[in-house]
Amino acid sequence: MKQNKLFLKTLTGILCFAVVLFSCSKSGNNKNQGGPGTGATDSVLVNLGTNIILPSYQQLASATTALDASITTFNAGPTLNTLSDLQTAFKNAYKAWAACSEFEFGPASDLFLTTHFINSFPTDTVTMKNNTGGATYSIDGIGNYAAQGFPALDYLIYAYGNDAVIARFTSDVHAAGAKSYMATLSASLKTKAAAVANAWSSIGGNYLKTFINGTGVNAGSSLSLFANAYIQDFDVNLQNYKIGIPIGLYGPSVLPTSPSKVEAFYSSLSVQLLIAQVQACQKIYLGGLDDKVAATNAQNAGVPLNDAIKTELAILLTKIQALPDPLSTGIQNNAPSITDAYTEVRKTTVLLKVDMSSALGIKISFQDDDGD
Amino acid sequence: MTTATNYFTRDRHIAPLAVFRIAFGAVLFFSTCRFIIRGWVHDFYIAPKFHFPFFGFEWVHSFGAPFMYTLYGMMAVSALCICTGLFYRVVAPLFFLCFCYAELLDKTYYLNHYYLVTICSFLLIWTPANRYCSLDVLRRPALRVTRVPSWTILMFKYQLCIIYCCAGLSKLTGDWLLRAMPLKIWLPAKASLPVIGPLLQYEWMAYFFSWASALFDLSIPFILLNKSTRRLGYFLVIIFHVLSAILFQIGMFPWLMMSATLIFFSENFHITLIGRVRKLFSLPAASGSVQEDYPVNQKTQKLQLWLLGIYFLLQVLIPFRYLLYPGTLLWTEEGYRFSWRVMLMEKGGTSFFYVKSGATGKKFEINNADFLTPYQERMMETQPDMILQYAKILKNYYQEKGMADPEIIVESYVTLNGSGSRLFIDSTVNLANEKETWFGHKSWILPFINK
Repeated sequence: MKQNKLFLKTLTGILCFAVVLFSCSKSGNNKNQGGPGTGATDSVLVNLGTNIILPSYQQLASATTALDASITTFNAGPTLNTLSDLQTAFKNAYKAWAACSEFEFGPASDLFLTTHFINSFPTDTVTMKNNTGGATYSIDGIGNYAAQGFPALDYLIYAYGNDAVIARFTSDVHAAGAKSYMATLSASLKTKAAAVANAWSSIGGNYLKTFINGTGVNAGSSLSLFANAYIQDFDVNLQNYKIGIPIGLYGPSVLPTSPSKVEAFYSSLSVQLLIAQVQACQKIYLGGLDDKVAATNAQNAGVPLNDAIKTELAILLTKIQALPDPLSTGIQNNAPSITDAYTEVRKTTVLLKVDMSSALGIKISFQDDDGD
Repeated sequence: MTTATNYFTRDRHIAPLAVFRIAFGAVLFFSTCRFIIRGWVHDFYIAPKFHFPFFGFEWVHSFGAPFMYTLYGMMAVSALCICTGLFYRVVAPLFFLCFCYAELLDKTYYLNHYYLVTICSFLLIWTPANRYCSLDVLRRPALRVTRVPSWTILMFKYQLCIIYCCAGLSKLTGDWLLRAMPLKIWLPAKASLPVIGPLLQYEWMAYFFSWASALFDLSIPFILLNKSTRRLGYFLVIIFHVLSAILFQIGMFPWLMMSATLIFFSENFHITLIGRVRKLFSLPAASGSVQEDYPVNQKTQKLQLWLLGIYFLLQVLIPFRYLLYPGTLLWTEEGYRFSWRVMLMEKGGTSFFYVKSGATGKKFEINNADFLTPYQERMMETQPDMILQYAKILKNYYQEKGMADPEIIVESYVTLNGSGSRLFIDSTVNLANEKETWFGHKSWILPFINK
């Protein structure tokens, strides 16, 4: 009897304790899935979301709206003057995108901004000629991914010089088709940019709140989603697509250099866009990741990791600024400054992907899994 | 010698074994269902284009989606049958075989707790755990026994003791005790947790957790084995494993350990537990106090004890095979698996693989994502044997594409416990020519020099 009582007591004690602890762990998990949090807020998430990510998308939304307006003006009267205005608006909008491509998670990833719609280059001129020539197409259709976004506009408003552009929209037999296709492209960009800005905004979908509440570093936490996207954009888009493939180092088979595969080939904006992207990366890093890294006391080659990353980003920026303009010509001439820049890009990738993520305890992989 | 044998063969009540079967089976069932529901059958076994089989088991292949889902379905059903004790003699080996097969397919997914499941489900095959409190007994009352040889219970206790001791010994390193690594990285990252979160920002917490967990691992076997401290021990087991479940993404491991360590309790505890549960569901009490001994064949039992002896000798030796290799264990990971090294390292890497055509000398870089899933890529980047396997995958791929003599070179950077990234693999070595061996050292892993 006495033993029974003791048994009961032990069992009840253990069960109560397990329930209490387990409920703690549950609330932790909920928070990581972006539910209402009860723990402390993370000021870095607040700053990144409020002062960097949301304003970047708002900038993209207003820049694409301005772009759309200047396309309407240009289509109404294609002249060298309206073209010049259009090209300025295009430049602004494309640069605004360079400060958004780092955030391919949440709303942007739901809308497949990077992967499908905004910046797939080199653009597919064959499909585009078919579309302007009167073929039926669906702008968001799977066959159309490579014939839209900024690279498609880049072709339409820059290819083969301003006179050729004016001719494309005036004397060409498919001028009307070109105008209508350009309007469709721009409208799609504008709609998608507005949709993401709205999804983040507190008066819209308020993903900002979800982002701020998703504390922690587990798979699915905001920091993990954000850091993965940030690193992926640098590693894959900047390192591989914008430089690695054009210089013939990166690819599925043995390729010579492919200068025409640079970003913004027709407008020769490649270097300006690279500068904009590296500046954005730097701004994002200094927007709170620096504090997180500094707090870890992590080192790299005897230097505090935070200093190493800041220095590296600064070096990278000067190397990118020193690239030959236009980049495609520089690649043809095998300019040594490109290899220099690529070396720094590689160093930055390693620092961000290996050192930074490891110091912050973030796993580089979107896949959900267990560890031990 | 006689007393020793008696100690292993004397009759004990079957209740601890039955409770172990029920609890462990239940966790296996939930674990398998969770695996299926999370879509991991697809992500882990169907989506990948290539797999990383264990050395010596390259002949194990996957057979597509319907097969894998059937396999996991069978695993879930057999786990439920183990829990309820239905058709035990069939489902216990069945579960073991299905689970083993899935584990052998790809080492990417190796976890210590999967190894634990493999081992315990293997040991369960050799026990009469279904002969009490089971549907088998309900089906065929003649099966019921109340007394079993004590080794059928002792082996699980010893196995668990080995696990805790090895885990504890592997924590006796400078990194863990003197630098509180990797907890110094992991704990502050959890600062947003409610209640304990704010505490985790302090560095002394990392030291506290490091020392406390090493002490826990090394002492818990003795606390659990000792009758007078057992309750305290189980209480500590719960604290330790629930805390680790809160702090880390380690899936079912804490629940497996908490269910398994129940076996340390006395037979009276288990008898009372079963009695209470029966009462709760208003089931009749276990049919009287009739004692039924498990029919033991002395010759078979002697053989079983010898085999168990060899098995436990291996269990004790395998975790220490790392001593045969030069270099830093956590860096080379030679002798790392199957050694109960849990949560010991924060290791991250990135690797740039190059293929160089032997004929033209032209070199180009590979997009790893074209060949591997993100999970496979992440695991491969820090594990030399997987890097070699991936190099072979690339070699075969480009040979099939018609490249005569592809050279595979990797530029790989890894950081270990906050060391800062450094070159991991000798980037002058053509991995296409390197061979995996059973216990040989991989000379192309660059030594880990802590600056």
